[in-house]
Amino acid sequence: MKIAALCGLGFGSSMMLKLSIEDILKEEGIEAEVLSWDLGSVKGQEVDIIVAPQDMKSNLESVETKIVLLKRLTDKEEIKEKVLKAIEEES
Amino acid sequence: MSDILVELIAMPAVVLGIIALIGLIAQGKKVQAIVLGTVKTVLGVLIMNLGIDGVIGAIEPIQQMYEEGITPILPDFQAFVTFDEGVVGAVQSADVGQIGAAIAWTMLFGYIIHILLARITPFKFLYLTGHMIWIHAGAFAILFHSFGLSLFWTVALASIVDGIYMTVAPAIAQPVIRKITGQDDFGFAHGQTLLNLLAAWVGKLIGDPEDTAEKLKVPEGLNFFRDMAISISVIMIFVSLLGALLAVGQIGVEAFMEEISDGQSWFVFALFQALYFTAGVLVLLQGVRMLIGEIVPAFKGIGERLIPGSKPALDVPVIFPYAPNSLVIGLIGGTVGQFIAIPILALIGWPVALPSMIAAFFASGAGAIFGNATGGKRGAFAGGFIWCFVGWFLISFAYRFEVFGDLSALGASGLGFTVPDAIVPGIFIWLIAKLFGA
Repeated sequence: MKIAALCGLGFGSSMMLKLSIEDILKEEGIEAEVLSWDLGSVKGQEVDIIVAPQDMKSNLESVETKIVLLKRLTDKEEIKEKVLKAIEEES
Repeated sequence: MSDILVELIAMPAVVLGIIALIGLIAQGKKVQAIVLGTVKTVLGVLIMNLGIDGVIGAIEPIQQMYEEGITPILPDFQAFVTFDEGVVGAVQSADVGQIGAAIAWTMLFGYIIHILLARITPFKFLYLTGHMIWIHAGAFAILFHSFGLSLFWTVALASIVDGIYMTVAPAIAQPVIRKITGQDDFGFAHGQTLLNLLAAWVGKLIGDPEDTAEKLKVPEGLNFFRDMAISISVIMIFVSLLGALLAVGQIGVEAFMEEISDGQSWFVFALFQALYFTAGVLVLLQGVRMLIGEIVPAFKGIGERLIPGSKPALDVPVIFPYAPNSLVIGLIGGTVGQFIAIPILALIGWPVALPSMIAAFFASGAGAIFGNATGGKRGAFAGGFIWCFVGWFLISFAYRFEVFGDLSALGASGLGFTVPDAIVPGIFIWLIAKLFGA
């Protein structure tokens, strides 16, 4: 399974998000590849789940991949709950 | 053999590869991951170099158009692009006088000093914004290099300043970050700190935090600016076409085709220079992404182990969700700020930084969020405006007086620094060096 974390440039907050998701997956014993992307890279590439901040909602309307929107990029509980739910639904 | 080794180790790409290698080994990664990560880091540097060539290749004719168009009216006119990644990337890739390796070593030793300082001082933040770690290491290394110091002293002094910067900046931003987020579990790590704090201070003077911008209704239509490819294209097409019109107005279509566009029509030429610029930036950013992709996780892992109770200091977008309206107000305020500062700079004969969407969105956006936290909607607009208005003077000052030395001689022609956290300490150190006759 491939999961992409997004931010505007693709290496700042998305990188932190990627590391948080990797920690969570490790704790849960789930195997998945996590990438950090910029918003512009979303189209034309395939992943199973996209994790993005809430304020990117309108930019992602035409994207058909499963999207997880986060209110707080720093809230580990929120990330864990939403990402694990998405993984369950996708697998 | 040893010559080859010495030559290899002096390559900036190899130094960064070595830093990644150490980081990957220290994290206890498997052999395959270590090899992959090291190669990717080296490739990242090379990809970045390709992007730099594209960016500079596109800037030169755009600069030329402005100079042809405006110098007949204002003889001192000079235009440049303000773009931190561009400056550090170009200097690192041209690697004049071992500066590329100095930047890479400063990145490593600056971070080690940061970890030591965070361990022994009460400032328990771990600075984790990868491109900003690299940019500040670059800015300080370039600064000390410009005084003619040896590689050793350049790296030593730049690392100390860099380490202090990364430790202190998140701590001084934290009181406002607490107001913005209502929590205290992460800090702020971006080169914008000083102007953001100015925005917060002005916000406090002129507004009321209760009158928050977040209660307003703000149109969502400006959201497409979040996509870098679009926002850079839009602003650069505007900048490039305006430059072409000015040049055509002064020298006429034929001279334009002869001197600037190599026979292409002015419209097509200007349009595609803007798009080449954007394409170059996107390639460059991809390189930066790979360059820091392996190093930042290592810094994080090691730092967390060595600094008990540390808080991560994170990149600016982590505060965006707390104040989306302020972000949009900042974008507007910042654009206004740039468009007022630019003619003033041109009239007083200072070099002009061409408009930047990255600054208007990321920097003025954050300035507005800081301003809103202390001064509500008035603070938000003022914060966004001030960031770019004052910022443009700082950026121009550093470029005009060559605070960081002669950047074009180092390979970064037509490029200048943006972030105040590099420019302001840079100006102080530059002034001190001047006093001592360096």
